Amino acid sequence: MRNSIWLRGFYQVLYFVRSAFRGMWASRLTSGVAVLTIGVVLVLVGAFLLLVYNMEELIDEFGNELQITAYLDADVSSDAQRDLAARVAALPGVDEVNQVSPEQALERFRSSVGSGVRLLEGLDENPLPASLEISLSPEQRSAGGLAAVSVSIEGLEGIADIRSGREWVEGYLRAISLVRTIGLGLGVILALATLLIVANTIRLGIISRSDELEILSLVGASRGFIRAPFLLEGVLQGGAGGAIALAILFALFELALPGLESGLEMIVGSAPRFFSTSESIMVVGGGAALGLIGSAGALAAGFRS
Amino acid sequence: MRGVGSAVPGIGSDAAIRMYHVSKSYMAGTTALSDVSLELAKGEMVFLTGPSGAGKTTLLKLLFGAERPDEGQIVVLGRNIARLGESAIPPLRRRIGVVFQDFKLLSSRTVAENVALALHVTACSPQKARARVFAILKQLGLQHRRDHYPLALSGGEQQRVALARALVNEPEILLADEPTGNLDPDLTVDIMDLIAGTALRGTSVVVATHELELVKRYRKRTLRIEGGKLIEDVRPLGNAR
Repeated sequence: MRNSIWLRGFYQVLYFVRSAFRGMWASRLTSGVAVLTIGVVLVLVGAFLLLVYNMEELIDEFGNELQITAYLDADVSSDAQRDLAARVAALPGVDEVNQVSPEQALERFRSSVGSGVRLLEGLDENPLPASLEISLSPEQRSAGGLAAVSVSIEGLEGIADIRSGREWVEGYLRAISLVRTIGLGLGVILALATLLIVANTIRLGIISRSDELEILSLVGASRGFIRAPFLLEGVLQGGAGGAIALAILFALFELALPGLESGLEMIVGSAPRFFSTSESIMVVGGGAALGLIGSAGALAAGFRS
Repeated sequence: MRGVGSAVPGIGSDAAIRMYHVSKSYMAGTTALSDVSLELAKGEMVFLTGPSGAGKTTLLKLLFGAERPDEGQIVVLGRNIARLGESAIPPLRRRIGVVFQDFKLLSSRTVAENVALALHVTACSPQKARARVFAILKQLGLQHRRDHYPLALSGGEQQRVALARALVNEPEILLADEPTGNLDPDLTVDIMDLIAGTALRGTSVVVATHELELVKRYRKRTLRIEGGKLIEDVRPLGNAR
């Protein structure tokens, strides 16, 4: 008995699939235009998603390099410097503290300026202060973390000045937020446009197949039986649009990759990434979901009228 | 008010269709049916006659749940149409075959596919559907036309396809609305013989027609409707069914 119910369900699904493909083939021009439009829409949304993902990856990469440099007052003795370094290391959010003496700082400067080393020849004494290079623990490697740890260090006696990438990180995060907001706004508008396109395509399908729907109703088809192929059509159109978008995005990504790779690797040592498998499934699934909602709307309106 | 599910005086328990004081009006204020009561036994065949606009089509629509009565009760195969919810109508329709004057065939589907539509609704397996479609087409003399499209067939053949679709689920009731209205006299007899044959196999049949020649030829019970009222119910002597 249970087997029979499963089989009947299977035969119905088989009919729905065949009917959906038949419907799309019958209105192949409008269905094709709908699929391509959904594809283009999802390419735009997907491009923003990729941009945001990679910008976030970049901040993670930079986060590993983020550190605070605390310059010490000139009158802090070596013992006091060691003591200060230990106190800073004990602060929450601090991973490691590296003490840099004025001599080490001068040496670094010499090696970094190269031929400009002659500039230092006239100096009687080393103008560079001792400093502490403070690395943050992984959970604090963000603009917020930088701010919190900086505030704790600022209050300590013997600290003359603090330098961190906080302003830069904050600006970068604002940029990510802006891109995300634009992407989200664009996504919502384009998603609505997609819904209208699918709904219109399905509505045209309902009108062109009104004879078939009337006959199905006469021979005892339930409301769900009549609607299911149209819903499936919406899902297939949306899903196909999503798959096309994914293919276009991948092709564009591969084309742009050589340039992006060399640029980014030079800065942060990591290459940009494409969608993961689960994210790719979400892009196609997102298209299918838009198709489903659009066709459900068209069915609600179409069957009312 | 007395429910039709309970015993109604003069109405037999083996009735396929029972209508009890049924009235139906449309929005424009026109009365399509007024206080119609009738009974149709299982396996009985009746002609529904009357001029155009008399209410024949409305009566048929009421019987397969395409319309709901304003007043009265309609019990079809034990289900009270007036009280059935939307979701209960499709299962009832699967037990009723309907044939129309304009055939209502899909021109983009083959003969076999048109007939199979009625089976898809019942979630019939493809193998079983093929066998049943072939059997009914053979019974109606259309097996050689199974892969043709309706527009390639004559009017009589098209109506036989529509009849095959109506009968493929072995319905307990067959409703035919002017089934021979578009056919020439020879094809009319051809189709009517097939319809009368289904009544002999136990299906209750209602044929709405304005062709009195047919009524005379087949000598079946005749219900005459005029202005929405049932004005005559004639049972031929010696031929109850």
